[in-house]
Amino acid sequence: MAMGWIEQVTGSLEQKKQYKQYKARTKQLPANYRTAIEALERYLTYFGAITKGETLVKMLEDLADLFEQSAANGAPIRDIVGDDPVEFAETFLQNYSEGQWINKERKRLNEAIESVAKEEVP
Amino acid sequence: MGKQMTEMLKGTLEGIVLALLTGKPAYGYEITTLLRDRGFADIAEGTVYALLVRIEQKGLVDVEKRPSEKGPPRKVYTLNTQGDEYLKEFWTTWSFLAERLEQLRDEGN
Repeated sequence: MAMGWIEQVTGSLEQKKQYKQYKARTKQLPANYRTAIEALERYLTYFGAITKGETLVKMLEDLADLFEQSAANGAPIRDIVGDDPVEFAETFLQNYSEGQWINKERKRLNEAIESVAKEEVP
Repeated sequence: MGKQMTEMLKGTLEGIVLALLTGKPAYGYEITTLLRDRGFADIAEGTVYALLVRIEQKGLVDVEKRPSEKGPPRKVYTLNTQGDEYLKEFWTTWSFLAERLEQLRDEGN
């Protein structure tokens, strides 16, 4: 058994710790960057529907890296997210698609088509 | 940046970034600057960053974290053998597309 019984009940403690660390990092950001990253987090969490905790945490850590780097460079918010923040959020999200709930359905669709396609007579 | 430009860049930005990395490793912010110098003025920092995450996941670049004077450590991206192969394939695909499109345009005139 890889996880202790308590983690099976509460979810991964390690991931909770990582999430708290991520939150602490965002609190260190200047206010305008913090507002932007919180808005992105909200959108990515709602729209992304990432059920795999590990992937979710990785995504947020990558996002924090971007904002810390940009804050250090003094990059304006528009330079980070562009004219279309939704477009940016969705491009960013694609890197973490393997953790999305819908991924199970993608596999199911592919398998269903594969199973009938291979039986077709050429 | 126009919508059409954004759409077309989506398919080619990966190749453009790999081409910029040929022979000279760079970190994220440098790559955005290089792009701007080449006339890709309106590309968002975040778009470039998302792309760098992707090419790292695909194993096309080697990544090394280096400390920086200001702010957090920087990730330096170096094109590796697999990335080199990928870039060759990108140029072949690009030539094919460009040729076909030119042909279409010529037929139209």
